[in-house]
Amino acid sequence: MLLDIQNVEAGYGSAPPVLRGLSLQVEDNRSYCVIGPNGAGKSTLLKTIVGILRPRRGTIRFQGESIEGLRPDEILQKGICFVPQDRSLFPEMTVQENLRMGGFLIRDRRLLRERLDRVYELFPILRDRTNQVAGTLSGGQQQMLALARTLMIEPKLLCVDEPSLGLAPGIVDQVFETLTEFRKQGMTVLLVEQNAVRGLSWADWGFVLDLGALRFEGPADGILENPQIRELYLGRLAARGEE
Amino acid sequence: MNELQVLILGLLLGGVYALMASGLTLLFGVMRVVNLAHAAFIVVGAYGAYFAFELLGLDPFVALGLIMPAFFLLGMGLYRLLFPRIEGSPRFGEMTVLMTFGLALIIEGLLAFYFTGIFRSVDPPYATQAFILGPVFVPRAQLYASLTSVVLLMGLWAFLRMTRTGYAIRATMQNRVAAQVVGVNVRRISTVSFGIGMALAGAAGTLVSFIFTFFPARHWQWIAILLALIVLGGMGSLKGAVVGAVVLAVASSFVSDRIGPTWAPMTFFAALFVTLMVRPRGLFGKEIDR
Amino acid sequence: MTAPTDTTGVPARPRRRSSRGVVLGVVLLVAIALPFFRGLPAYNYVLQLGIVLFMWIAMTSSWNIVGGFAGYISLGHNVFYGIGGYLSGLLLVYAGWSPFATAVLAGLFCLALGVGFGLVTFRAHGPAFIISTIALLLMVTIFFDNWEFVGGSNGISMPLPPFPVEWIKVPFYYAMLVSAVGSVYLAYRIAHSKFGLGLRALAQDETKAEVAGIDTRRFKIAAFALSAFFVGVVGAVWAYSLSYLRPTIFFIIGVAANMVLMAIIGGRGTVAGPVVGAIVLIAVNELSVVLFGASELNIVVTGVILLGVLLFFPLGIVGTLREHGKLPAILDWD
Repeated sequence: MLLDIQNVEAGYGSAPPVLRGLSLQVEDNRSYCVIGPNGAGKSTLLKTIVGILRPRRGTIRFQGESIEGLRPDEILQKGICFVPQDRSLFPEMTVQENLRMGGFLIRDRRLLRERLDRVYELFPILRDRTNQVAGTLSGGQQQMLALARTLMIEPKLLCVDEPSLGLAPGIVDQVFETLTEFRKQGMTVLLVEQNAVRGLSWADWGFVLDLGALRFEGPADGILENPQIRELYLGRLAARGEE
Repeated sequence: MNELQVLILGLLLGGVYALMASGLTLLFGVMRVVNLAHAAFIVVGAYGAYFAFELLGLDPFVALGLIMPAFFLLGMGLYRLLFPRIEGSPRFGEMTVLMTFGLALIIEGLLAFYFTGIFRSVDPPYATQAFILGPVFVPRAQLYASLTSVVLLMGLWAFLRMTRTGYAIRATMQNRVAAQVVGVNVRRISTVSFGIGMALAGAAGTLVSFIFTFFPARHWQWIAILLALIVLGGMGSLKGAVVGAVVLAVASSFVSDRIGPTWAPMTFFAALFVTLMVRPRGLFGKEIDR
Repeated sequence: MTAPTDTTGVPARPRRRSSRGVVLGVVLLVAIALPFFRGLPAYNYVLQLGIVLFMWIAMTSSWNIVGGFAGYISLGHNVFYGIGGYLSGLLLVYAGWSPFATAVLAGLFCLALGVGFGLVTFRAHGPAFIISTIALLLMVTIFFDNWEFVGGSNGISMPLPPFPVEWIKVPFYYAMLVSAVGSVYLAYRIAHSKFGLGLRALAQDETKAEVAGIDTRRFKIAAFALSAFFVGVVGAVWAYSLSYLRPTIFFIIGVAANMVLMAIIGGRGTVAGPVVGAIVLIAVNELSVVLFGASELNIVVTGVILLGVLLFFPLGIVGTLREHGKLPAILDWD
């Protein structure tokens, strides 16, 4: 088992918890999609895994090692990478500088150079724009850069929060192709997606979150076909996804 | 005085103001702390230079080498002592203003208690000399202070552009969450930045010790001037601090020459209000958080 | 969710309220009757302490309207204190009008100034607003330091009040008492009005308040102006009691520091907080003067208390007690 989350409670400031005793497991070498209504705790879950939020209760184990309460940089060092919803680039740095920042934890200059070359191989569009300031990239290019940046440290688990948000359909296809490529590289991907139909048809396995807890899990195509879940959680979402 | 003379004096002053403001704007950029005690630390630095000169006979430029590291350590210690407790506070920005306000009061009170309110300044031989270049004179003290400021600011710039820690600091300034995501330990970076900000305050204090007179309560006027020029430049922007400092120092030199020296500080405050009215984010700044 | 703390038992309220009214009424009667007991030990000291205390209650309660309710911290609020003092003082010197009469005028003038200043500075939020208030203070200071008509930095003397020496403190005592009660009553009325509700909403989240249809800019300017009124009034009274006008008395930042500190110690954003904070801090100051003499260490003590309260009890005395459900009913004025 890659990631084991048990009874985690987490939230913001002194507000009531968003995650209320959530438990779920992630296996090696699979792709996952987390769906659920707004406020279900999907983003909170990712932020808690990567250490931006500290769980108030519960345990999080990664490859058998307890990681709850570690700092984000320590968790990243263990091999969990995060792409937040807003893509979190450094707007005033160039594409190359952003990629180099992605390898911030790598102190070996040669390794850094190698990784950079590999990223440029996989993402030739980024090579063309290597000296462009990230803030001036288009939304799709920014998302590609954010995804490419994670390759710099070759994580075992990649957590991606709504990568399709605000992107044109054609670009969304590219984003999902990239994620498939990452899967082939041996990464486990944990994807949060508002566009449930799209996310589930891409993933192997689905998690349905509601009110801060796991309501249902199963093979992704099964969830799509399960009439009960469709009615409860997918109805509105599916409609929106097909807009 | 002729225009050229006023301009030169203003530019020299601007160099020093830029250094005084650099630490303040760096701290705001990295951790959204408005350090109202910044100028109080500048005054402490000035006292350090004063006593180094009076008691040990050290020239301020020698004392600079001692004061900067000492202030760096002091800054890191202070950050660790005060800020982790309020890090998660929903009103962090306002809390930092109030806390550093309290800190400024403590520093001012202690300085006044131990060293009284007497006006002081350091008197190295060059403090009263000037180079005469045709129609204008260039005071040596101001020139040395300004050149040193420029060197230190260029050093800061190079550090931020060329070192790993510098990159981490800039990354944290641009996007705190993104910095965390790529593995920057933002608490460590905040601590180091506070140290750097304080070292810059110490350096500024050393330099102003022989170009201005100082006394414990002097810091209120200085902090207001510094805040005015970083608001004009855009809070958190180093470039803005430098541009704001030079522009306003030159402007205030002209006000001082044409209207009267006591009105010179008014330039800064007027500029502050105009900035807030016309362009609240300043010349190079991003929108200030609500 | 503007008053999340208001969860005390509703049915018990009317009785508690009436007993609270009795206690506060008695306190007020004692305060009113005090000057009649000339035989009290240290009579003049007690009266002077009352004058100072009431003045600070009035100033802190006023500051709290903008600094507490609306959440906009002003570190330059003593400009109104000074301008109030100068306006009344000058009217006395040049026109012979008694400051007891013109204090209200001073207050209204400060109210108008507050509107003007608010129009400019409420474009700024958070730290930038605080900075603009400091700048305002320093600008006004420079102005008065250089204005020869009012004596510049040396100041100007005023004629002494025309009262017999043994009663000289009494009118000041009552003037300050009226100001203190007035300002607390004003704060109470605001806290219990829709206006106050709006202020608290914008203090919590300005964007949400705007979305909810609150004209936040007008609310903030109104709060700022109202918070200037009594500061101007007590400035006028205080100047007369000193019979001297000088920039360093009114325009030093320590005066603003005290308003902020008292409000924070007592509990920012509560009605009773500024009163409690003023009492506590004046007690501490008196003690500090006894222990250290009137030295610069007093300002150190002020700073240390401010830091300590912010780090350990950011809600202040009233706020912390309420959070633990231990606030005595007589102090529950919200």
